[in-house]
Amino acid sequence: MSAVVDFPVKPETRPYLEAVAGSPGEPEWLMQHRRRALARFAELGFPSRHGEAWRYLDLRPLEQAPLRPLAATEVEAARAGGDPASAWPAAGLRLTLLDGRFAPELSRLGEMPATVWFGSMRDAIVRRPDLVGEALEALAADRDQPFAALNAGVFGDGFTLAVPEGVVVEPPIEILHLASGRSTASFHTRSLVTLGAASRVRLVEIYTGEGRYWRNDVVAVRLARGAAIDRVALVEEADAALHLAVFDATLGPDARLSSTALLLAGGTLRHDAVVRCQGEGARCGLYGAYLAAGRQQANFVTTLDHCAPRGETREVFKGVAADRAHGAFQGRITVRPNAQKVDAHMLSRNLLLGAHAAVDTKPELEIFADDVKCSHGATVGDLDATALFYLLSRGIRRADARRMLIDAFLREPVDRVEPASLRDHLLARLSARLAVLEET
Amino acid sequence: MEFPSLMLEIRNLHARLGDGREILKGIDLAVTAGEVHAIMGPNGSGKSTLAAVLAGREGYEVTAGEVTYLGRDLLALAADERAREGLFLDFQYPVEIPGVNNMYFLRAALNAQRRHRGEPELDAGQFLRAVRAKLKELEIGEDLLQRAVNVGFSGGEKKRNEIFQMAMLEPRLAILDETDSGLDIDALRVVATGVNRQRRSDRAIILITHYQRLLNYVEPDRVHVLLAGRIVESGDKSLALELERGGYAAFGSVG
Ligand SMILES: Nc1ncnc2c1ncn2[C@@H]1O[C@H](COP(=O)(O)OP(=O)(O)O)[C@@H](O)[C@H]1O
Ligand SMILES: [Mg+2]
Repeated sequence: MSAVVDFPVKPETRPYLEAVAGSPGEPEWLMQHRRRALARFAELGFPSRHGEAWRYLDLRPLEQAPLRPLAATEVEAARAGGDPASAWPAAGLRLTLLDGRFAPELSRLGEMPATVWFGSMRDAIVRRPDLVGEALEALAADRDQPFAALNAGVFGDGFTLAVPEGVVVEPPIEILHLASGRSTASFHTRSLVTLGAASRVRLVEIYTGEGRYWRNDVVAVRLARGAAIDRVALVEEADAALHLAVFDATLGPDARLSSTALLLAGGTLRHDAVVRCQGEGARCGLYGAYLAAGRQQANFVTTLDHCAPRGETREVFKGVAADRAHGAFQGRITVRPNAQKVDAHMLSRNLLLGAHAAVDTKPELEIFADDVKCSHGATVGDLDATALFYLLSRGIRRADARRMLIDAFLREPVDRVEPASLRDHLLARLSARLAVLEET
Repeated sequence: MEFPSLMLEIRNLHARLGDGREILKGIDLAVTAGEVHAIMGPNGSGKSTLAAVLAGREGYEVTAGEVTYLGRDLLALAADERAREGLFLDFQYPVEIPGVNNMYFLRAALNAQRRHRGEPELDAGQFLRAVRAKLKELEIGEDLLQRAVNVGFSGGEKKRNEIFQMAMLEPRLAILDETDSGLDIDALRVVATGVNRQRRSDRAIILITHYQRLLNYVEPDRVHVLLAGRIVESGDKSLALELERGGYAAFGSVG
């Protein structure tokens, strides 16, 4: 990418515009798309905390010490080693992205029906531009969200999963995002899932790593009529890591999306879910939990757009902020004028533990149709004193009793995850994380 | 031979609520190992407050008096320490704790107490065997096991769960707060049998109740009448029968 630019540039974006994006020999359509996206990023600049969309995260450290995208040539081959604790031990199919690039030696792409396309994004760009081309160019977030635009400009790799009509992929597919700790840099990954009519998949995204890095991840999911996806994201990044992720989904008629995201570790974490229920009768469940301690920042943002009648949304987000941590939930559900009979509920429940922690919760409904059932609720409170006393009165130590109650509080969104072995893994990670937290 | 040893001694205990209202106005009570004491009194007389103060619940301020438990200053111990020292409170209103499995909870409690006593912890298998044996002995079904603590339990199931916990934890001093209230006759019998099986020469039991019904099944050594924050009368089991006939009015103003 040329360092000479002829569009308005916000100063904080400069280090990223000079980066070497993509790889030599990329198709012209992609290079053009990258250039447009970078121009957009340069114009938008870093988001301001004065705007609504980014008011709960402090990104000054990133502005002060930029984390440049890692060039393809800088990625070292992976060393053999055991799986990180965050990885799902029972995973059959696994695609690993190490420092933002596909690592075949750490992947098991396994047996798939011949009609299913599953592989790295770079591979798909070369071999199946028909699958990814249009979708890569059509992401709304790339226009509005600065870091999505940056991602479109400089992404190095990602995964592509395309399932044709009627095909059901039973075993969950794990996408393992690793950071080796060898580079203080940013890893921009961009992935695409397209599901044909009445097809179905389960996706497990694990994010973990070592060192100081910025992971900037975009996953776009397109569901045709009656398609279904169950998706889990487990985020256990390094303490010094910044993790920004956008999960962007478009649901056709009677399609079904279920997403469960757990933000457990990492310095600054933001998980953005952007969902358009475009077809009639589309159903969407968004669940999540964050556990923020120390000086962690954790932020869930959901943007749900009901554009068609008879859609259904359930959102349940739980959060715990302890020590000096800051947790936030921002949720918006929009119901368009023609989207009658939409049934949408959003709930954000939070525990605020300690005088120096902070929690913000901001659920919003924008309803333009008259025959709908919509509600939202938000709570911020302390642990239930009566329940705590009950546990103490049986001899359980205070620190253990508190952990049991926090665990019980946070596990609700996880309790619906299938299969059981995946649910147990998530609950075990939650408990393990709780065990290392200092008692406040 | 063993001499009967003093288990609990309460002297001139005064306690008030956060809002300053004094509820306990000078309680004196001595309980010896091996005994069952009944504390009877009308609603609002301070029975649950006494139990809560003894168990170490927050929200009460002790303004005067002392409590000695097995030779130690009970009030200086935190609630969980008291429990590990063998004090057990059977709640009048057992607490529902969504998301905490009943078995997981009880194993954590039992192992915390065993660790405290320097005994080896029970692994999942050993614990399950102990649980099964105890449930059988108490004639309690196994359906309570896999649920969250008290969540969705009927009133009777909650009380049985309390008795079951007591039987598993084997306390030195058990305080049962209105274990009998709201029970049908079958549940009452299960609970009473459970309590009777817990009677031992090295264990004391305080039964708080405002009916004498439970005392038909569990025979107390001593009966005390608590009225407006004071023990106004103490006697043997015949006092309970007297109360049944004459009510509390004979012992003074109920308010
Ligand atoms: N935690 C509390 N908060 C407010 N009032 C309380 C609390 N505990 C006890 N009380 C009050 O103290 C008095 C005695 O209550 P309690 O000890 O529950 O009586 P009993 O168990 O004998 O029915 C009542 O007036 C009750 O309302
Ligand atoms: Mg009471």
